[in-house]
Amino acid sequence: MGNKTLRNYVICGLILLSLAFFPLFANNFIIRFGTDILMFAIMASAWNIIGGYTGYASFGNVVFFGIGAYITAVLMEKAGLNFAFAFIAAGMGSAIFAVIIGLPVLRLRGHYFAIATLGVAEAMKALVQNLDITEGNSGIYLPMLDLSVKGQYYFFFYVMLGTLVATLVVTYLVLNAKFGYSLIAIREDEDSANAIGINATYAKTLAFALSGLFTGLAGSVYAYQQAFIKPGPVFTVGSTLKMIVMAVFGGIGSLFGPLLGAVSIEVISEILSNYFLVAHTLFFGALVILSIVFIPKGITDILTQKKIGLVYFLQNIRKNRI
Amino acid sequence: MVILKGKNITKRFAGLVAVDQVDFELEQGEILGLIGPNGAGKTTLVNVISGTYPPTEGEVFFKGDKIARLKAYQIGRLGISRTFQIVKPFPGMTVKENASVGAMFGAQGKERSAKEAIKEAEKILGFVGLGDQMDILADKLNIASRKRLEIAKAIAMGPDVMLLDEVMAGLNFTEIDRAIDLIKKIRDSGITILIIEHVMRAIKRVCDRIFVLHHGQKIADGSTEEVLNDKQVIKAYLGRRYKALVA
Amino acid sequence: MVLQIVINGLLKGGLYALMAIGMSLIWGVMDIINIAHGSFIMLGAFTTYWLFTLLGIDPVLSLIASIGILFILGYIVQKYLINLIIRASAFITLVLTFGIEIFVNNLAQVFWSADVRMVQIPYGATNFSIGNFVTIPIMRLIAFLLVIVISIILFFVLNRTNLGRSIRATSQDLDAARLVGVDVAKTYAVTFGLGVGAAGAAGTLWSILFPITPMMGGILTLKSFVVVIIGGLGSMLGPLIGGLILGVTEALGTNWLGATYENLIGFTILVLVLIIRPKGIMGGAD
Repeated sequence: MGNKTLRNYVICGLILLSLAFFPLFANNFIIRFGTDILMFAIMASAWNIIGGYTGYASFGNVVFFGIGAYITAVLMEKAGLNFAFAFIAAGMGSAIFAVIIGLPVLRLRGHYFAIATLGVAEAMKALVQNLDITEGNSGIYLPMLDLSVKGQYYFFFYVMLGTLVATLVVTYLVLNAKFGYSLIAIREDEDSANAIGINATYAKTLAFALSGLFTGLAGSVYAYQQAFIKPGPVFTVGSTLKMIVMAVFGGIGSLFGPLLGAVSIEVISEILSNYFLVAHTLFFGALVILSIVFIPKGITDILTQKKIGLVYFLQNIRKNRI
Repeated sequence: MVILKGKNITKRFAGLVAVDQVDFELEQGEILGLIGPNGAGKTTLVNVISGTYPPTEGEVFFKGDKIARLKAYQIGRLGISRTFQIVKPFPGMTVKENASVGAMFGAQGKERSAKEAIKEAEKILGFVGLGDQMDILADKLNIASRKRLEIAKAIAMGPDVMLLDEVMAGLNFTEIDRAIDLIKKIRDSGITILIIEHVMRAIKRVCDRIFVLHHGQKIADGSTEEVLNDKQVIKAYLGRRYKALVA
Repeated sequence: MVLQIVINGLLKGGLYALMAIGMSLIWGVMDIINIAHGSFIMLGAFTTYWLFTLLGIDPVLSLIASIGILFILGYIVQKYLINLIIRASAFITLVLTFGIEIFVNNLAQVFWSADVRMVQIPYGATNFSIGNFVTIPIMRLIAFLLVIVISIILFFVLNRTNLGRSIRATSQDLDAARLVGVDVAKTYAVTFGLGVGAAGAAGTLWSILFPITPMMGGILTLKSFVVVIIGGLGSMLGPLIGGLILGVTEALGTNWLGATYENLIGFTILVLVLIIRPKGIMGGAD
């Protein structure tokens, strides 16, 4: 193992350890904040698999979050199953849904794929609002976790953390295997990828399934944590847009980019809402605009290129302007 | 032994007949040229063989098996690889990564791990003369190197048959000569080649036999010498007054 | 009875078509999906509201103002913002328009609060009836006629003027258009301006018919997507057909299944169209 790889593993290990001990030094509010960041990091990283690496920018990934949340809610509340079982079922269910919807929808490219996934998410929201088993628009209550208050905060933090680690580890393994190469090849030139022997249909669908799996798991934990879910919040297009912004801001097509993006965006949002009670979303919108114009490749690009400053910003604009 | 055979291949696109009842045979170990004026249907024929789309009528036989209705990636894995007229490297990947993808998913891809494929790619890049550019991003190469990379990807797939689509276009004379040497080297390594070309200098020096398409139909088929002196071929390419294509 | 439902659906469809025309133009010509589309509709609605409330200007007359103001706004946004990133990958533009949506919606909310408002005009609720069978609200009929007028104007502009030629040239090949001397930056800006101006017109009509709030744009953008996809890109007829189909199917569907199924109907159609015939009904100019 080369020095650089060893160094990378050590850094990852240290970060993981500090994350693991983080709750011990923080109050409940901070732990909850951290849990939310982890949740968005999972969603952004999962989005990155289909959007960043494969090049199929899904605009409906929130549908997996919602499906995961509702599978969990229905199984725990109506079938009386425990969380572990519901959690796994939520992941599997989301992945299966990804395959079913992916087969027709992944045949579309670019904008059409994006809008199709958006349509699926909105249709699913509307469907859940009208079904009896999901209690329509009234929402479902979930059984409460039987732990102390502090214990509950710890529990959800660690489950989210574990899910994030699983997401990143799987993504890492995938990237270094042939499968990862096939995804990037598909993104770069799908026709060429087909000609070179890659079964693009299989690869894309598997990528979409992985994306759905982890997003569904995040939804599952969220549902249990909230103890009450309604269709609107768990199927909102705003979540998809948020995870995309995080992935882009952090740097799509890189392993830790989405995590970085999630942390930055959430922290910035929190600071903004403390200073500007009324207009913080406004500044968030401005932030999105500015960062997409000046740093479209994300923070990771700044870190790897070790550049920043006026020249760098202008270079980006020159490359992308009309 | 005939390794690749097309029988009565016809391809229609909504009213336009691009390829019209074409028969051809490719003998193992030879270099067969495919020439014809622009729009004759050459690339369409190659697209049919490589599985980009199926023929409207007709059949393609590879080592005796019917392959006309297989998908592009399946044909690639069976042992037929191709280059594209407008080269299609994977722009965000390095030269080495580009060639590795070929080695990962081609005919022997199944038995190789990612690492082994990368090693195989390094060998092949040396073979085509890109050994010193392995870590450069593919979209930063000049046109001659890009063509080499395109060929390297096709070789990396471990094919029995390679379809080269106008690899000489845009090259200067020196580059053409080097490309000719490379093509001969490829054939000597055991790969049978079908080459579409406009550059007559290359066709003369590299092909054993040639067949000619014009308006989708085959108008000549024989040894290089015969075909390049054939009256119909001359008429199709350069008009009746031109005496001979052979310089 | 069914006839009334269908007529209601057609009239609502006309309003949908009016909303979607701007999005179709921008998407068809510049391949930009404007997530902020609904926000511009909202701005058009509020322009009419404030002109009416503060200056007493009749809403239908305020059409000119809302189209004009929104055109200028769209021109500026395209020229000085979207043009800066337009050569980046398609969804980068999507993220930018998403940022614009957040910014505009929240700016509106900061200034005008989230209160729901209405433009109450005396003739806003008048109908005229055909015999005993059918009642047609006047305002919806005006919306319907307006979308036809705007479609014809846009068709005329695109096909018979030099400006239209520049627009069509740039949509077919940006670099080639530039080479023959088209000022592509300005052409894009004008196109976006036209699309946003159309959204403004839709907003004006909306404000007369329905309550308005700064956050109203989101669902309107989504509905516009459905209309554009059903109708197909590349033709002025597309949004009209798409809007009518959406309006009628929603009307019939909610009558049969219930009002809460309205969105499900539209989005299911969207997904089905994309799976079966992504180009839509009139699409295929590409």
